[in-house]
Amino acid sequence: MSKHGNRTILVCCGPGCLSNHSMDVYEELKARISQAKIKAEVKTEVKATGCHGLCEKGPLVRIEPDDIFYTGVKVSDVPEIVEKTLLNHQVVEKLLYHEPSVGRKVISPKQTRFYKKQMKLALRNVGEIDPSSIEDYIHRGGYKALGRVLSELSPDEVITEIEKSGLRGRGGAGFPTGWKWRQCARMQYYPKYVICNGDEGDPGAFMDRCIMEGDPHSVIEGMVIGAYAVGSHEGFIYIRDEYFLAIRNMSHAIEQARDKGFLGKNILGSNFDFDVQIVRGGGAFVCGESTALMASIEGKVGEPRAKYIRSVERGLWGKPTVLNNVETWANVPVIMDRGAEWFSSIGTENSKGTKVFSLVGKVQNTGLIEVPMGMTLREIIFDIGGGIAGGRKFKAVQTGGPSGGCIPESLIDLPVDFDSLNNAGSMMGSGGMIVMDDRTCMVDVARFYLTFLSEESCGKCVPCREGIRRMLEILNEICEGRGQPDDLDTLAELGEMLKEASLCGLGKSAPNPVLTTLRYFKDEYLAHVNEKTCPAGVCKNLTVYYIDESQCKGCGLCQKNCPSHAVEGQRGQPFAIDETKCIKCGSCMDVCRFGAVRIRGRDKSWK
Amino acid sequence: MEIIIDGKKCEAQYGEYLLDIARKNGIHIPTLCHSDALPGQATCRLCIVEVVEGSRRRVVTSCVFPVTREVEVFTNSEKIRRMRKNIIRLLSARAPKNEFIQKLREEYGLLQETRFAVDEKENCILCGLCVRACEEMGIFAISTVNRGIEKKVSTPFDEASDVCIGCGACAFVCPTRAINIMDENGVRHLWNKEFQLVKCQKCGEYFTTREHQEYMKQKFGEDNNYTLCEKCRKKAAGEKMAECYRI
Ligand SMILES: Cc1cc2nc3c(=O)[nH]c(=O)nc-3n(C[C@H](O)[C@H](O)[C@H](O)COP(=O)(O)O)c2cc1C
Ligand code: SF4
Ligand code: FES
Repeated sequence: MSKHGNRTILVCCGPGCLSNHSMDVYEELKARISQAKIKAEVKTEVKATGCHGLCEKGPLVRIEPDDIFYTGVKVSDVPEIVEKTLLNHQVVEKLLYHEPSVGRKVISPKQTRFYKKQMKLALRNVGEIDPSSIEDYIHRGGYKALGRVLSELSPDEVITEIEKSGLRGRGGAGFPTGWKWRQCARMQYYPKYVICNGDEGDPGAFMDRCIMEGDPHSVIEGMVIGAYAVGSHEGFIYIRDEYFLAIRNMSHAIEQARDKGFLGKNILGSNFDFDVQIVRGGGAFVCGESTALMASIEGKVGEPRAKYIRSVERGLWGKPTVLNNVETWANVPVIMDRGAEWFSSIGTENSKGTKVFSLVGKVQNTGLIEVPMGMTLREIIFDIGGGIAGGRKFKAVQTGGPSGGCIPESLIDLPVDFDSLNNAGSMMGSGGMIVMDDRTCMVDVARFYLTFLSEESCGKCVPCREGIRRMLEILNEICEGRGQPDDLDTLAELGEMLKEASLCGLGKSAPNPVLTTLRYFKDEYLAHVNEKTCPAGVCKNLTVYYIDESQCKGCGLCQKNCPSHAVEGQRGQPFAIDETKCIKCGSCMDVCRFGAVRIRGRDKSWK
Repeated sequence: MEIIIDGKKCEAQYGEYLLDIARKNGIHIPTLCHSDALPGQATCRLCIVEVVEGSRRRVVTSCVFPVTREVEVFTNSEKIRRMRKNIIRLLSARAPKNEFIQKLREEYGLLQETRFAVDEKENCILCGLCVRACEEMGIFAISTVNRGIEKKVSTPFDEASDVCIGCGACAFVCPTRAINIMDENGVRHLWNKEFQLVKCQKCGEYFTTREHQEYMKQKFGEDNNYTLCEKCRKKAAGEKMAECYRI
């Protein structure tokens, strides 16, 4: 909240809102406010901030301390906001968020279930500050933890604190961060390096991006603390090349931190030296894997290597190295500031703290969220996410990025933490969460992810390269109606082998989408293979659309919406679909209010 | 330190690779991408074994797994055999007609692959040894290109490489003889390029390419007898030595 009764307008410039022209809204607000000269009355500051989270409803604008929250703001709405809200303390009704749980519009973000159920630690400043201002960061308590660490704690005490907090890596495997640091601190050869993994190769994920764009100093502060703990003086932040705003904000933050003495020689007069530089990554998914990432920083081809000798012993240029994910680093200052005990009181027994997710797919409220570990999938999808879009039925949720797994409705009350997701055959990964409704074919989903992985596998080892290729070949055949009875066994056997015999984590996790769908949706596979039917009506070769005459009221909506003019008949009488013209897009089924459009298999009928 | 492999007690040095220990003790583990001269590829994954430590049982790649503790190893457990069979199945889907892979298939009782679309002309399993060999020579004429299932080994843009010296190191290390190398009428054909073969000044046999000979001379000096073939060079070195010691 702003000081001295000043007013702050926070315009979301996260990836979602930016693409909806929030920058223009920001510029317009600034221009209009200076014109209206409301500065004389209340000092009003407009800030372009990082992602507010509710990307679906962007561009988002928040006004503090009035506690007003506007959604879907267009440039043309700006005069009204200035006139009504800023000058006359009225709300602009049409820009308010409609809260489904109470069935009316609400003014404050705190009144929305979307924000109310969240807990922001890693995202504590994202959306609250101007990321280009180190003063904003310091004003909210930034660099306080670093000051305390350098003046009061020994490296060993820092590591003990992180160990006690129970922090586990947020980038993939959930490796205990304190333990990793302890191993590296023990090594007696130098130099040592610390690295921040900002590769974020999962398509659709933007957690790390939003932290780097919206609160770059939290990552820098975390890294200085980590470097001090393990005895490193040089760090690298690896950011994928497409993230130009993250690169820009991070570079700017590094310069500011140097100017203020938080980076460089003799940090805060402590005699400790540390500096970081940014490395731009080429953007392959596999480059996020730790050994591939280090090879890439070394200027070699970004391919993984066997790591029976851990990076904490021989990492970058063969030197002891600590590699952590963006979100992991961003958590470090909070832990050092508020204490391990407080942090470990959040979450579940073996997964402490919070986790950031990018919630996407068929939910009402897509966006960036952060919740305490252990929150159930149901709460995330139905309370925060607002339930399934279009009032359809929930079918599955895919977690953990492209090589994660699909979790079915029967496990909707699963508490989300590292271990329970693993036990369900999926994983936390870096926090992708894709919600799927009943119009999703799970065989097709498995095929989709394997296609991605077949392109992203580095191709170095046989199980991954050839295994993914052949599993994909089988899935393609199944979807096209050429599945064979042995195929499911072959998929399971190849999957088992890939998990154990692949060289790196990509190959080891690649079978997850297939194995989880086989485990939870076996009937759907069998329908494809034995009945040559796609129950969800997605696999075109296996689907025939038809209209149930007894249900059809003859309203003609289907005919109006068919892009291929395949619906025949007259209004008032039952319609029929011409199979030869039907492109199986499902538009008719989506619009029919009487459930009269049906699908059946290629050969046999399907209800 | 002592470890147990398939029930047999084996002496091991700290950090020694599991595959080497097994071989020293006469225990056979199948490999394709392993070469004593160029170790550490770890791409074919045929050499997987199970390592047991207390209650922990895990699958490791023996050619790059350094032994640091007294463990028990199973090179041929049911699980390993099943997984290895699947690896061989994948290899034989990739290179169905290759004699080395056919041999492995027979060893593991697998039938000719029928489920997958195959390319009968393919012999390369992308182990990467040829690229390593070329790099070790200091030439860098070939490399792997593309990712994932599109990966292959080739010269830049598949054209005749202007740096290749035709030494044939790549073909020499290839475990499946996948590289097309042909010496015919004093000409070597390799990687879309032709090389003039040179004759040994002693025995008169063709033994390498002119480019290779020049390269070696430049790198190691004229006086190293690069005008002789391997056999005659060894013989000459032996004679020189004998002369020195007047044997
Ligand atoms: C194929 C693959 C891709 C990965 N991509 C990322 C990534 O984009 N970002 C990330 O932080 N970790 C990624 N990881 C995990 C890293 O290898 C590593 O475990 C992690 O960065 C360690 O940091 P943490 O302990 O803080 O999680 C990936 C792993 C694999 C196998
Ligand atoms: S598992 Fe896949 S990505 Fe990893 S080394 Fe093997 S081929 Fe490359
Ligand atoms: S011999 Fe070990 S992986 Fe090929």
